[in-house]
Amino acid sequence: MIQLEGIEKVYRTERIETVALTNINMNVGEGEFISIMGPSGSGKSTLLNVIGLLDVPTGGKVALNSKPVTSYSDRNLARVRNEEIGFVFQTFHLINDLNVVDNVEIPLLYRKGISSGERRKLALRALDRVGLHARVHHFPGQLSGGQQQRVAIARAIVGNPRILLADEPTGNLDSQMGDEIMDVLRGLNENEKTTVVMVTHDPRQAEKTERVVRLFDGRQVS
Amino acid sequence: MTKHLLKLVWNRKRINFLITVEIFFSFIVLFGVVLAAVYYVDNYRQPLGFNYENAWRVAVEMNNRAEGSHSSQSSQTDINAPKEPSEKAEPPSATTFKQLMAAAKEFDEIEGVATCTVTPYGDGTDTSSIGDDSNPIRYGVSMVSDDFPQVLGLTLTRGRWFGKEDDGANYRPVVINERLSRDVFGDADPLGKELRRPDLPPKQEEEKSTPMRVVGVINEFRKDGEYTAPDNFLFRRQLLNNQMSREPNALMLKVRPGTTAEFEEKVIKRFQAIAKDWSFEIEPVTKMRETANTFRLAPLIAGGLVAGFLMLMVAMGLTGVLWQNVTQRTKEIGLRRAKGATARRIHKQILAELIIIATFGLIFGVAAVVQFPLLDVIGDINSRVFSLSIVISLAVIYALTVICGLYPSWMATKVQPAEALHYE
Ligand SMILES: Nc1ncnc2c1ncn2[C@@H]1O[C@H](COP(=O)(O)OP(=O)(O)O)[C@@H](O)[C@H]1O
Ligand SMILES: [Mg+2]
Repeated sequence: MIQLEGIEKVYRTERIETVALTNINMNVGEGEFISIMGPSGSGKSTLLNVIGLLDVPTGGKVALNSKPVTSYSDRNLARVRNEEIGFVFQTFHLINDLNVVDNVEIPLLYRKGISSGERRKLALRALDRVGLHARVHHFPGQLSGGQQQRVAIARAIVGNPRILLADEPTGNLDSQMGDEIMDVLRGLNENEKTTVVMVTHDPRQAEKTERVVRLFDGRQVS
Repeated sequence: MTKHLLKLVWNRKRINFLITVEIFFSFIVLFGVVLAAVYYVDNYRQPLGFNYENAWRVAVEMNNRAEGSHSSQSSQTDINAPKEPSEKAEPPSATTFKQLMAAAKEFDEIEGVATCTVTPYGDGTDTSSIGDDSNPIRYGVSMVSDDFPQVLGLTLTRGRWFGKEDDGANYRPVVINERLSRDVFGDADPLGKELRRPDLPPKQEEEKSTPMRVVGVINEFRKDGEYTAPDNFLFRRQLLNNQMSREPNALMLKVRPGTTAEFEEKVIKRFQAIAKDWSFEIEPVTKMRETANTFRLAPLIAGGLVAGFLMLMVAMGLTGVLWQNVTQRTKEIGLRRAKGATARRIHKQILAELIIIATFGLIFGVAAVVQFPLLDVIGDINSRVFSLSIVISLAVIYALTVICGLYPSWMATKVQPAEALHYE
């Protein structure tokens, strides 16, 4: 499903060079649920961004569904991000000036041939799948953190991507809300066979996944 | 997508309000200038009705008021006042005018000469009206001698000019323009008719005794030139005999093409020899036209400069606001990129939002300016000129907004998702 081969990532600012990732080799099979762990600054987010095509590695190869995507054009990258990947962020990144359904509809706006009625239907169904039935016409500011993250997950899965990437999805939530979000992710993995890659700090959450990849200082340690 | 953007713009109305207001006011200012310009262009494209080339005006100042007591008296009376049917003697000024015209004709360089009371591009005007007082039909008037159409190249569309055949008639012959004919007679033939509203009884005594009778119609005569709106006009016959009701105040000369300014001196000298106490001043009509048109165009040019400067300020302000808008939204833009928007799509979105915001401002702008005619802020501007001005102003403002949005929206395409969504 996801193959990483010799991934390197170096951030070059005016004077300093930061090596964020060194020689990462990784394979994630279809329907797997894995977590990436490691101390702060060890390159977890960078790795997830590379997998999610939000960032370009300085070296190495990325393949999704056995298709190399490293040299894709902007248009193809956009298509893959839209159709094959769902991304969930630690800070939700909801658009505060749009209500819940409108936020969830966003990925569908960038897909051809979906009417506004269909968009609405799919968005409501996605919200249903994450267990958010009410408050769909509220604005993000009127929701709790856990509810906001549910909205963000609904937005990530509205287009039925095969891969779900989550960067510390429970990092901004208390443990009870965090558990609820974990349940949602697990449910998606078990019921819909979505491949999930999750970055986390929390060993308790990592335990619930099938496999743990550990990073230290940009290197894969297990 | 449009619905999505409309919601987004609407939910951000507080931030977008500033841009809307800016667009609103620029539209109003621009509309004012465009309206004036379109009005002028529209007027300019319509026939002028006369030929100013090689026409000279000789302004005549009669200083011997004591001698010509009769004329000074009559020049104060209204031109529509009844003539006294009298056996009185010919006023000396009439004789002098006839002598001046005869002298002018002797020059080879002069092809024609006529008198008039109102000169094209001149300062003086003379207006009158017919019909009932509540809804009068107004028109400009000039009293001219029989040769006037040859000197100014007027075009008759119907009938004839007045002349010898009208001597001693029991009516006053007039030539009117088509516009006045339409206003008074509608589609009916005006020739031979008395100039008064057919549906109203004769108003004044004079209309009964010596009525004005239409003997000919000209296409147009726009005394104040090509930038003014075409209006009604009427020519009355200037008599230079004991029937003279009013003195001319200028002679119009048609000179041979290529006649130079030195010739002016010769003419003045000759005229001065005939009328020692009178003073004369010659000016080619082309020159008067230049002066009059410059005077009319000056406010438009000034207004245009002010509006242009204002547009520049608005454009700079708008670019700044939009640029700020984009930088404040890098997270949203990064998010959209992460969710599958191409750079092109982002570019389009920013421009589309801008057009929506501008449209709000412009809707209010158009709503405001269509009140102008209702409030009678602007005079006799027709609806064609008015609506064309709205269309042009809209196009300019849209173009300006899009141009202002190009750089900020290009900036938006440079947003990299990973960086924009980076969590610190
Ligand atoms: N845009 C960037 N520019 C420069 N350095 C960066 C950038 N993003 C991340 N880094 C650096 O790369 C390293 C890994 O960062 P990150 O992947 O965010 O770590 P983690 O998510 O594990 O906390 C850190 O040293 C961080 O400072
Ligand atoms: Mg991180």
